[in-house]
Amino acid sequence: MARVYLEHVTKKFGNVVAVNDATLEIKDKEFLILVGPSGCGKSTTLRMVAGLEEVTEGNIYIGDTIVNDIPPKDRDIAMVFQNYALYPHMDVYNNMAFGLKLRKFPRAEIDKRVKEAAAILGIENLLKRKPKELSGGQRQRVALGRAIVREPKVFLMDEPLSNLDAKLRVQMRAELAKLHNRLQTTIIYVTHDQTEAMTMGDRIVVMKDGFIQQVGAPMEIYDHPDNVFVAGFIGSPAMNFLDAVILREDGDLWVDAKSFRVKLPLTRFETVGEYIDKEVIFGIRPEDIDDKDFVPNAPPDRIVTADIDVTEPMGSEVYLYATVGPHSFIARVDARTTARDGSSHQLVFNTDKAHLFDKKTQKAIR
Amino acid sequence: MIPLTWDIVARGLGEIGRLLGIVAVIVVVLEALAYLILHRLLKYKYSLPFMLLLPALVGVMALIIYPFGFNIYLAFSNMNMFRFKDFSVGLSYGITNFLDVFRLPVLQKVTFFQLLGRTILWTVVNVVCHVLGGLGLAILLNRPMRGKGVYRTLLVVPWALPQVISALAWRGEFHFQYGFVNLMLERLGLRPVPWLSDPRWAFVAVVLVNVWLGIPFMMVVLLGGLQSISQEYYDAAQIDGASGWQQFRSITMPLLKPVLTPAVILGVVWTFNNFNVIYLVTRGGPMEGTDLLVTSMFKAVFEFYRYGFGAAYAMVIFVFLFIFSAVYLRLSGGFKGAWES
Repeated sequence: MARVYLEHVTKKFGNVVAVNDATLEIKDKEFLILVGPSGCGKSTTLRMVAGLEEVTEGNIYIGDTIVNDIPPKDRDIAMVFQNYALYPHMDVYNNMAFGLKLRKFPRAEIDKRVKEAAAILGIENLLKRKPKELSGGQRQRVALGRAIVREPKVFLMDEPLSNLDAKLRVQMRAELAKLHNRLQTTIIYVTHDQTEAMTMGDRIVVMKDGFIQQVGAPMEIYDHPDNVFVAGFIGSPAMNFLDAVILREDGDLWVDAKSFRVKLPLTRFETVGEYIDKEVIFGIRPEDIDDKDFVPNAPPDRIVTADIDVTEPMGSEVYLYATVGPHSFIARVDARTTARDGSSHQLVFNTDKAHLFDKKTQKAIR
Repeated sequence: MIPLTWDIVARGLGEIGRLLGIVAVIVVVLEALAYLILHRLLKYKYSLPFMLLLPALVGVMALIIYPFGFNIYLAFSNMNMFRFKDFSVGLSYGITNFLDVFRLPVLQKVTFFQLLGRTILWTVVNVVCHVLGGLGLAILLNRPMRGKGVYRTLLVVPWALPQVISALAWRGEFHFQYGFVNLMLERLGLRPVPWLSDPRWAFVAVVLVNVWLGIPFMMVVLLGGLQSISQEYYDAAQIDGASGWQQFRSITMPLLKPVLTPAVILGVVWTFNNFNVIYLVTRGGPMEGTDLLVTSMFKAVFEFYRYGFGAAYAMVIFVFLFIFSAVYLRLSGGFKGAWES
């Protein structure tokens, strides 16, 4: 149990900067998610905390100690790898016991810890098996067990669920969250899957091209993304982005996307002042575009008539792939919608929840 | 010596051509028979695989099974220099031949058990040095470093050269007066060593040559094995707290075993059967002091012209190798992979 602190950490591989001046505090007992597309530096960051990669510049603290020059084995961390990295020539028991044996734990203590961890993970009946005799989900549990028996200060997990099938992944997601509650340890978890990030973490760190883009609680990041990248990366289906101009007419604020215009709430006045008559990126999440039939008293200045290209029924809801002039966007509407492929349909833009971004800097206008 | 004329070359080529023609005819006839019997008559499900295997089978028959059978036949004969054409075959000749292997000197003075001990010593020393040297170099080459390709190429050279050439070159380098090895020793202020005239030093010399020749093969094989071990295991072991040596013992060695086991078996068989190095560097001398089982067998047959005896001797050597391979395969789990239980 410890806090982890990254202080202006940079990692270079030759001329390539994998992680650029990252400063980040991971609190004690926190479940922190590093998320981003591949090559964003999230795994490198994790491997630096583990001690598998050297830090080029800056300091990493675990607890109050700078660990830059401390080898992985003395950092009191445990790691779960993407491909599990279970030793193929050892059975499950020995895979889990290996770290404890190397640390010269008494045999009875090793036995106790392995059995406890196996019980937590429900793999007691697999202890005699070799990794190749296990299914993906079972291997995943063994890899977790190997980390748990060590009772480390910090758990590091590098995309541990990415090799599981969709159903198992959902199940393990919940189990990992439960495990965190039970173990009360700091966990740093790397993933490229924004759903995992949203559902599991206390806080999320979004990374891109080696830079930290935004740090915050899942809903904070979802509701208030700092820039276009974060807005587009978090959320599924992704946020719609349309090029538009902000207009002021008769004391009202409008977003004008040429082929249609919708009214912005007056509360936006304070923030958009300098952007009036300028081009911005207008972002709106699919769930903030509704079918007019299911919005009683929809204000007419927020209604847009769109051509529906494709409808995707998801059961509980329907995704509409819509076009207005040059703009395409996705709407997530009630399952009872009457919109059909190729038809024209009236949609309501909930502009209270609209996001506006500076076209040049891509930053949120707040 | 008869000068080599076009006439002789042509006759030689004609004989080879005739032989190849006969083999081709045999293959065609057998294929036709297999087609008719297996496919047409028996309507056997696997007739095509068997037909495809047939040519190889003919090769194996001609090159391995027939000579092997003929060797057994000879072992039960009294064929030698004096009875080359009018030799006779019988159980009593066979028994005499096999007993002679163990009770009489195989050549002029060296006995079978001396040779066996020497061959085992030669094999153990060589294979241990091959594995240790090859493994060491493979581990060095498996690290990221500059000019890896150049080192790898240079290290493979002993293997790439024809053995005859390197063995003869080494024979020159071990010359007492003009050889490179003694010249270097003298430069270092040491006394020159009678490499080829003292039996013990001669044995050291042939071992050195064979170690030099054998390391590249082990290195290449083990390097391939090392490269197939995923870095993730080492990452995991580092985090589990394994030191460099513990990683080597707990990860590298067990995961290298599926590659190492067959390589060691091959190495043992090749070294045990090694003929080139001994025969070309020392000719088994001085005073039969570096002869091994195989070289002494060759000499017994082609220098002492004891064909029946030599055939029996060959059978005895074969039995030893066969037992070794079978036992080693059984004990080590043989060709099983690390992934299998």
